[in-house]
Amino acid sequence: MSSLQERKIDRVGESYFETRHSSGLKIFIYPKPQSHSAYAVFGTNYGSIDNAFRRADEQEVTRVPNGIAHFLEHKMFENEDGVDTFARYAKTGANANAYTTFDKTCYLFSCSGHVYDSLQILLDFVQKPYFTKQTVQKEQGIIGQEIRMYDDDPSWQVLFNMLGGMYHTHPVKLDIAGSTDSIAKITPELLYECHHTFYNLNNMALCVVGNVEPDKVLAVCDKMLRPCEKVQVQRYFDPEPQSIVKPRVCAKGSVATPVFYYGFKEDAAVRATTREAAQTEILLQAISGDASALFRRLLDAGLINESSFDSEYFEGPGYANVLFSGESKDADAVAAEIQKEIASVRKNGLSSEQFENAKKSVYGRTVSGFNSVENLANGIIGAYFAGRSLAEDVEAIASVTEAEAEQRLQKQMLPQNAVLSIVEP
Amino acid sequence: MNQIEQNTLRDGIHFRSVCDTKFKTFRISVNFFMPLKQKTAAANALLPYMLSRCSSEYPDYTAMSKKMASLYGASLSADVGKVGNTQVLTVLAGGIASRYTLQGEDTAGELTRVLCGALFSPVLENGLFREEDFRQEQRQTLEQIDAEYSDKRLFALKRCMETMCAGEAFGIDRYGTRDEVQALTREKVTQAWKDMLATARVEIAVLGDIDAAPVAKAFEKAFGAIERHYESLPLPKSAPCRSKVLRAADHQAVAQGKMVLGMRTGIAQFQKPEMVPAMRLMSAVFGGTPSSRLFLIVREQMSLCYYCSAAYNATNGLMFVQSGVEFDNMQKAEAAVLEQLKAVQQGDFTDEDFEAAKLALVDSYHTVEDSLSALEGWYLTQTFAPKVYSPEEYAALIGAVSREEVVQAAEGVCLDTVYCLKGQEDKKQ
Repeated sequence: MSSLQERKIDRVGESYFETRHSSGLKIFIYPKPQSHSAYAVFGTNYGSIDNAFRRADEQEVTRVPNGIAHFLEHKMFENEDGVDTFARYAKTGANANAYTTFDKTCYLFSCSGHVYDSLQILLDFVQKPYFTKQTVQKEQGIIGQEIRMYDDDPSWQVLFNMLGGMYHTHPVKLDIAGSTDSIAKITPELLYECHHTFYNLNNMALCVVGNVEPDKVLAVCDKMLRPCEKVQVQRYFDPEPQSIVKPRVCAKGSVATPVFYYGFKEDAAVRATTREAAQTEILLQAISGDASALFRRLLDAGLINESSFDSEYFEGPGYANVLFSGESKDADAVAAEIQKEIASVRKNGLSSEQFENAKKSVYGRTVSGFNSVENLANGIIGAYFAGRSLAEDVEAIASVTEAEAEQRLQKQMLPQNAVLSIVEP
Repeated sequence: MNQIEQNTLRDGIHFRSVCDTKFKTFRISVNFFMPLKQKTAAANALLPYMLSRCSSEYPDYTAMSKKMASLYGASLSADVGKVGNTQVLTVLAGGIASRYTLQGEDTAGELTRVLCGALFSPVLENGLFREEDFRQEQRQTLEQIDAEYSDKRLFALKRCMETMCAGEAFGIDRYGTRDEVQALTREKVTQAWKDMLATARVEIAVLGDIDAAPVAKAFEKAFGAIERHYESLPLPKSAPCRSKVLRAADHQAVAQGKMVLGMRTGIAQFQKPEMVPAMRLMSAVFGGTPSSRLFLIVREQMSLCYYCSAAYNATNGLMFVQSGVEFDNMQKAEAAVLEQLKAVQQGDFTDEDFEAAKLALVDSYHTVEDSLSALEGWYLTQTFAPKVYSPEEYAALIGAVSREEVVQAAEGVCLDTVYCLKGQEDKKQ
């Protein structure tokens, strides 16, 4: 049995446990005895950007078709005995799903009963790949339809157009699902190779949150986790220049009002720490949140609306950027106002009221996140793969100073790195 | 879980609280139920947005937003929805519980005060909503209506609903039409506010880590100052199924088609309420879960749709099957969906499928109690139900439904309207 370390989050009176299982798997268990439900996520540090990688036991960089991580996610639900994974979950009543992002692939379920039976299913099917030529061919058709569905989604288009204007080589600019052409090149052999490389337990993590007992979770892990060869794998990216590709990308789409993304590319050689991420969140809230002067100016000028204007820090391995998004009849004017506001804050700093209110808002949002077992499980896994920690997050936000936030702004949202993407009717 | 407390503050004003310290947050939602009518829908729709942007005490958007930010990013937000044949105007306040603040601020007390101020004491100029506030919300509502055009899944569902229920209250859009919003005046919206306070059925829900008693007291006092003319709302009427299926289509520059099949079930909260649990289970067996027939057969086996699922609405007794389909496959997909409906009607599903649907439904009801927004929605949709159930009680009802009852519920389901969203190319042919 693995020994558990407790991670306390005193400010909110919460705690969870973590351990490294003898199989190599990182495990997080977060008991919430008052919760009716439980949520488990089993993920690998492998996403759509991993189309080139170097294994420690090989000299060469391996290149695989775009969209393969997402394709693999779809295919994992089929099993050798012909019983679909959803059919297995049907016997426990769990609600199961999976998702692939730029940098991770996660399999999950939520349930209110039979949690250990469902956990057994989750650990089982993700460790057991089974692909045939025929099932791969069929999936190419289904994913082709999914890709076409996203072609009709202007918010998806406008994001990728922006990333295309930002990145010369980094695969974050490519659609997570790949293209009809790239997925046509996927074979069972390639899928097995990617599974073997990235779905080894040393590259994965499990997080279970809810009405569970740690001993019972570990007992299921002991039973189900199969020792595996420790494959060391490095992400490989072609060199990415600091500069952007082009500052403005405009396309036509099936929208009634133009939609936009306005992003600032950053140097992403090293990933942001928990503390730096907190600083950026607070900065964005202060500069462009509902209470900001910028938001009010844009609203009064009829340039944005409350339901769509948003900002986020979007970062992962080898990419980082601050994004503003929304709908606007004149996105160029919005971009100009954002630039003006950032320049002013960079020069004059934030007011104490602006900073304190922004910090309280971000703090409140983070505390609210502790209500949801789903949010906690996904948050813990995401932070772990990013080299950060959920346990430190609340404290980091509570202790960020105004000077730190202002200092961070000196390195972020630089005008020469801005890209505006618009999809108009 | 703590006990649900329910009482009536005044005529037509109901107060419900589910207080539980397992949550880090609380929510107070005030829901005004108004009859859904074409001539009042647009003015009503603007109201919750007008009321949540400022108040006499926080007289503009920025002053209100600063107050919210100082309360740890508390929210004062608005929504407009439909339940049965009513329009529901919601103003909602939410925030973290006082015990988690950095300096011990009384978040619940402050938010209750701000919320009451927003609803009962808005910024008025010469007795009317201020021009700039009105213009701002009018513009944003128009943009909201336009934005729904971009979400093709939602767009198709809405078009099917309005086609199918033309002439019925449910067929009216929750925002009214674009033209109606455009034609609004400050006078109309101010009058709508007065009518809302005086005549609406009001459902106040207080949930989470909060003491409900002071909130009830605050609303009792605030509504005490209003002269009420409350008349209970009429129950929805259910139209019979069409003898010939109604067909409608739109053409847009889309890569993938959308097809929505509108069905009438003859079973709703106001009509055969005792059959509603069976109908819910029928919908799950038919197309509500990954082990349902629409998912397993139409999507997985036949590869006809990228998504294909059924959703049943117990307040109006309608069921909609939504799907993403290639243009060329629409006819085939429609036939396949109807074939699965027929299968359920003939009892052609395994005991395993039946038990799986039951388990999935029961499991999902149990998880409702872990989310404040889910709990709020749970009780809100039962506003017109003859008896109000907790999620746990409802799970027990579902558990008791038999196969025969599911088949019996399915027998009354009939196809009424088929709506398709197709590409431009298809139009030329």
